[in-house]
Amino acid sequence: MIAQVVLSLLLGIVLLYAWAQYRRSPIVTVLSCAVSLIGFYFVWFPSHATLVAEFVGIGRGADLILYVWACISLVVLLNLHLKLRTQHELLTQLARSIALANASLPEDARPTEPSRMSSLTEGQTSQSRYRLADGPTRGQTADQRA
Amino acid sequence: MRNDHFSSTWSSTWVVCPAYNESSAIVSVITRLRQAGYDVVVVDDGSSDDTLELASPLASAVVSHPVNLGQGAALKTGIDFALAQGADVIVTFDTDGQHRDSDIPRLLDALVRNQADFALGSRFLSEPLNMPRMRRVLLWGATLFTVATTGLRLTDTHNGLRAMTRRGAQALRLRQNRMAHASELLAEIARSRLRYVEVPVTIDYTTYSLAKGQRTGDFVMILVDLLAGKLYR
Repeated sequence: MIAQVVLSLLLGIVLLYAWAQYRRSPIVTVLSCAVSLIGFYFVWFPSHATLVAEFVGIGRGADLILYVWACISLVVLLNLHLKLRTQHELLTQLARSIALANASLPEDARPTEPSRMSSLTEGQTSQSRYRLADGPTRGQTADQRA
Repeated sequence: MRNDHFSSTWSSTWVVCPAYNESSAIVSVITRLRQAGYDVVVVDDGSSDDTLELASPLASAVVSHPVNLGQGAALKTGIDFALAQGADVIVTFDTDGQHRDSDIPRLLDALVRNQADFALGSRFLSEPLNMPRMRRVLLWGATLFTVATTGLRLTDTHNGLRAMTRRGAQALRLRQNRMAHASELLAEIARSRLRYVEVPVTIDYTTYSLAKGQRTGDFVMILVDLLAGKLYR
């Protein structure tokens, strides 16, 4: 009984986590929920797990639950991988904003209209936009200016 | 300064050159493009060598990523920069020396003649020089994949030489930072429903460009990146 309660709590946490992730990745949520609910059912009806395990050729219900848990871990790993990608996208946006704000332009470059810049460097201050337009001269790098 | 035929149509053509540790080739590439009369923006992708220092006095403009992000990210940065400068046409051009600046007028001409928003270079419409057999097989596989997933009728899907109108560039939503950007760009062209045309271009395969180019394992990672991009919003 103790093991069933503890496992149910853990699976409940997984379900809550999956629900919280729905807006970010519906696919991960659906997979997590499906695997968690299957695990939840077998925790409380282990004899059914044994029946299913025998049917699919595993042998023991406990082994089946272990495999379900392994599946949940893999789904969580996938989610972590995708989250890392999101973080990397944010890093890219940040690096791009820095790069564009410190671009070195030719001396005869036409001033950039602020309205054009606003579409590509969201969140930048107007001061940094003008810096791109009339600040650096040809051939200067960020290091040289510093 | 620019080719008369195109200057009557477009007032501003920018060539975007993504560069990562290209100190061996970048001087000749940028010099040739500038001599041909193009505005060139070099996007230094966090190079650890002196690519940035070499490019700065030669290019029309230099944008430098503070960290290495990948060729796709560098292209997106360069396209954003060119749009901000009011570019009417944007050309993407690799800096490892495999492209010829003499192919650019043909791309621009194809945009005008076909009233297209994208002119995509294809090495398979001309005679590729010194292309290794393995590279040819992989590129054919990539082409089949792209045709199957986007419906675009193309012969070369991983060619870094392309031209696009301002409208075309603004229609692209590029999120893939690394090599998967080429497939993503084509998927975006398909999504935009804008007109595209393929143009024969010549790729000069040298020991240097082959060493810098994609490896067999990269195609596996491209598939993984594309799949991951589909899974996450």
